[in-house]
Amino acid sequence: MPSDFQFTFEGRRIAARDGQSVAAALLAAGERCLRIDEAGNPKGAVCGIGVCWECRCSIDGVPDIRACMTPAKPEMVVRRQRGLDPCNDR
Amino acid sequence: MQRSLAVIGAGPAGMAAAIEAVRRGCRVTIIDEAVRPGGQIFRQAHPALRGEEFAEPAELARKHRLLAEFQGVSSKIDYRGEASVYAVFPNGEIHLAQGDATEVLRPDAIILATGVREQVIPFPGWTTPGVMFAGGAQSILKAHRVVPGTNVVIAGCGPLPLIVAAQILRAGGRVAALASLRSLSAMLHHVRGLWHGREIVREGLRYAWTVRRAKVPLLTGYMPVRAIGTERLEAVVLARVDQEGRLLSGSERRIDCDLLAINYGFVANSELAAMAGSEMRRDPVAGGWIPVTDTYGRTSVPGVFVAGDGAGLRGALVAECDGTIVGAAAAMPSSAVDGPTLRAELADAMARRARHLEFQKAVRATLQLPIALWRTVTDETIVCRCENVRFGEIRGALEGGHHSLNAIKRNVRSGMGWCGGRSCLHSVAALTELATGAAPTEMMTPRPMVRPVSFAAIARQRKVEAR
Repeated sequence: MPSDFQFTFEGRRIAARDGQSVAAALLAAGERCLRIDEAGNPKGAVCGIGVCWECRCSIDGVPDIRACMTPAKPEMVVRRQRGLDPCNDR
Repeated sequence: MQRSLAVIGAGPAGMAAAIEAVRRGCRVTIIDEAVRPGGQIFRQAHPALRGEEFAEPAELARKHRLLAEFQGVSSKIDYRGEASVYAVFPNGEIHLAQGDATEVLRPDAIILATGVREQVIPFPGWTTPGVMFAGGAQSILKAHRVVPGTNVVIAGCGPLPLIVAAQILRAGGRVAALASLRSLSAMLHHVRGLWHGREIVREGLRYAWTVRRAKVPLLTGYMPVRAIGTERLEAVVLARVDQEGRLLSGSERRIDCDLLAINYGFVANSELAAMAGSEMRRDPVAGGWIPVTDTYGRTSVPGVFVAGDGAGLRGALVAECDGTIVGAAAAMPSSAVDGPTLRAELADAMARRARHLEFQKAVRATLQLPIALWRTVTDETIVCRCENVRFGEIRGALEGGHHSLNAIKRNVRSGMGWCGGRSCLHSVAALTELATGAAPTEMMTPRPMVRPVSFAAIARQRKVEAR
């Protein structure tokens, strides 16, 4: 896939194109598990349109941001939330 | 003084309503969660991502015509993108969150054009990453040019699974199987509807041809009964079910895939209408609980209108005509709506809406599923995915005499999570109907915030706009 910039997810470099959402770029990179829920279950993108909130991630230190509704930006730091740990320990 | 109008949702209905209201001299604010207008069906990619489209040229022509018309009046519209309405109150207040702040609007009239969301029948493993809604997979393809899997199984009923399969193939993706609970030939019983929708039928046949040419295995009468994988989807087990919802033994087929895209129809986004105090009615095929509206989209609450699929699933063509009609009605004082002038002005839009509604009857026939199919939901199946509530717990609440959705929610937490019950409301209602023989009479009471909003954003609330 041609890419315009990169950001990181769990420390891994993810290629993205201008205008892509965080979720779309992660799916294109083969990432499926975007969150571990309170019961320990892996969760991924489901509705793709902001309804279900399953894809919420920590983005640049702010927890609970819907990856499917957030445009990816160069050098964003995206982290997988685990249970109630908001991952905002930057 | 110029009449002010707020439209919630910038899909076909919302855009058409805004265009009409601007032409009639209103000051229009339109609020949408997406960056750009379009809604789900006319979702726009970022300008830098323009390029190959996978939808039918005729659908794209409709999309670009409406978007261009909206663009033409956009200088007169206050477009609020990436904004969520989290409450609409009977006093006419709209509460919205945008960025890190909230705002309260108090327009002269409100048009709810909130559309629909997707419906699924849950099964063990459906919370595994890689199981998505079919329209969700489609929107990621449409807006971001990404096929969200390398080997895809598509399942459900109605026309959407076929369309998504064709579009994924056109994008270069691999479709391992297309499973449908019932054949689209159910539409053939509605000859009149098919005639009125012949342009759409032609588009559908072209999608079907794409799928046929790719030799995708078609599994009619099958539904997903188990997803396999933990951190990511590895395979799906499909099985045949009879009309009583019993799995036919020996019919199970395991198919490897890394994306399972499902759609069993749609649920109306009617929470805001209910919160505003509108009278509601239940019609499962039309989207569950839907506001009671008249020809002009008026609800039982003065000044609150509903347009498009949010008033009952009818498709994008109806939604656009509906938006024009409702936009015109909301643009004038209520006393003027019932006069002969408006009816004459809207005669053309009303005739087009009636014609497209005929076709929707044919589409709805493919979405009508027997309630018995919900027997496939086992005790260990997660129904409320936010709170990990399994059907066994919900069954326990039902057996304990808790038959209202509010009582079930209070007892087992289904509907109490991040999505506000929008993912499980229809499932709990259907399972209640199956278990008790009667559908719940009332929806889960929608309360603010229907979408999560941070306390910080509420603390930063801008003042009420004076009437």
